[in-house]
Amino acid sequence: MKAPTIDYLAFAPILATLGGSLLVIAFALARASFVQRVVLPGLALVSIAVAAAFAVITWETGDQTTIIEGALAVDALALGFSLLVYAAGIGAIALSLRSEIARDAGRGEYYALLLASITGMTILVAAENLVTLFVGFELLSIPLYVMCAAAVRDERSLESGLKYLIVGSVGSATLLYGLAMIYGATGSTDFAGISAAIGTGVDATDPLLLSGIALAITGLAFKASVAPFHQWTPDVYEGAPTPVTAFMAVATKIAAFGVILRLFDDALLSTQLQWGPALAALCWVTIIVGNVGAIGQSSLKRMLAWSGVAQAGYLLAGIVVGTRLGAEAVFFYLAVYLLMNIAAFAVVIARERVSEHGDGLRSLERLGEASPWLAWPMTIAMLGLAGFPLTAGFFGKFQLINATVSGSYESLAIAIVIGSMISLAYYLRVIAVMWMSPREIEIPAAPGRASRKVRPAEGWSPEAGAAAQPEVTAVAVLCAVLVLAIGIFPDPLFDVARDVGSSLAGFL
Amino acid sequence: MSITWFVVLSAVLFAIGLFGVMTRRSPLVILLCLELMLNAGNLALIAFARGHGNADGQVFALIVMVVAACEVVVGLGLIVAMYRRRMPIDADAASELRG
Repeated sequence: MKAPTIDYLAFAPILATLGGSLLVIAFALARASFVQRVVLPGLALVSIAVAAAFAVITWETGDQTTIIEGALAVDALALGFSLLVYAAGIGAIALSLRSEIARDAGRGEYYALLLASITGMTILVAAENLVTLFVGFELLSIPLYVMCAAAVRDERSLESGLKYLIVGSVGSATLLYGLAMIYGATGSTDFAGISAAIGTGVDATDPLLLSGIALAITGLAFKASVAPFHQWTPDVYEGAPTPVTAFMAVATKIAAFGVILRLFDDALLSTQLQWGPALAALCWVTIIVGNVGAIGQSSLKRMLAWSGVAQAGYLLAGIVVGTRLGAEAVFFYLAVYLLMNIAAFAVVIARERVSEHGDGLRSLERLGEASPWLAWPMTIAMLGLAGFPLTAGFFGKFQLINATVSGSYESLAIAIVIGSMISLAYYLRVIAVMWMSPREIEIPAAPGRASRKVRPAEGWSPEAGAAAQPEVTAVAVLCAVLVLAIGIFPDPLFDVARDVGSSLAGFL
Repeated sequence: MSITWFVVLSAVLFAIGLFGVMTRRSPLVILLCLELMLNAGNLALIAFARGHGNADGQVFALIVMVVAACEVVVGLGLIVAMYRRRMPIDADAASELRG
């Protein structure tokens, strides 16, 4: 028996975040305030930066480097999605710095869990085997369940943690049963072996295989919040501490779509004719349900949750077509989705710390005058999510529509356009609240006095100043600038997306 | 004896687990039902491994057991935390957050 060879250079990004997680929890034993406040988040940031550096160094186009034979392999797809996850992780750490939840939950545990979850995501997108896929999936999920409940003194946070755990575990169990059936049909847990078996011994319409695929997509749909498996999303997003919500909203989606891309466009590509129409139906449902659900939400976190459901629908369209163009579009859209959502959540965090309205839509009232450094990033993020030209969101949607049309799924292009039209209703409302709320506030009628309108005193809500939370403002502004930059010069990101797409060998 | 019966049994267990998750109110029973679903997956994996004559499925099942234990630990931890806060341990009553 020979032990599998391990390529440590290619393994380094995963080891960096895993080692970082262990180091953080070890350093957390020191109770000194300096260690708790500066060293722990610093260590977490450094380990993510090291992992990202290794990912950039080992970046190679097209080729697949085996890390552990038959279990893990990196290629441009895995590295590209890992880099997006790292970016989300850095954003989440910056947003957690001044947050109470990291202190309540114990800073060491909080950052260690965050790094463990990031490790799970990078393992998931590098998986070459159903076993590794499942382990990565759980390593991603279990720390997130705990992080959702991190605000231990807040009942809503505990409740959202338990809800996420129950729904997430149903998803995991469904995925596992699906994987078992795929294994049963093909006799192999390797992606390469599965793909080879479907070509030779196993018919693409084998009922066992198709049931397995259906259950697997259901399990993954829970994680990616694809309708009709999205019901948990608004509740969990609202109850979880906002920095965790920001991380969960982007990073989980990136990892889930990364693995869907790998499983469906690589291992199961030869059955595309069978799963394509089913996924297309899910895509339609998700776009409509997500966009309609977002209308009329008064909590920004719930609104962003529903908008996340809708965006998952757009992304699914890129998977359905099963072409290289679709894979590139999915990566491109995830990259811009990351920037737009982090910018939006950063503004929500900045406001909810000072506003009496918490994460309600009203917390943004007259933000345009009070602190333009927060109002502009939110404006750009909303315009980008709606897909306005000059923002990166426009090119993202353009790419997806281009992919669906050239993959002869024109109906999905129509779904994306209709969804975007509906979405204007709630994205533009946020912008209107920020820039166009009346300057007067109404004082309600009291006995013997009619209601009247007065101008609020100047210097309203001084803490709203962007200077009070420089790191949150910096994250919001940076993401917004990148959204605009990519909206004007999308070529560099197109090139990266092309590299990522080229690593899926099954396409012509 | 064909492996079909084992696969059918696992499907029945999975369905019972799913039914329990959807209808039971106590989070503890829900966790039990989740275990049932995961173990149905394990049974199917082992049956298929036997059918194909390779060990991949059995290794998979062993790893799933470890993962399932982790999940239950986190779930029980959350339930204890809720109990300490005197929150109602009842899935129907846990409704601060409304869909």
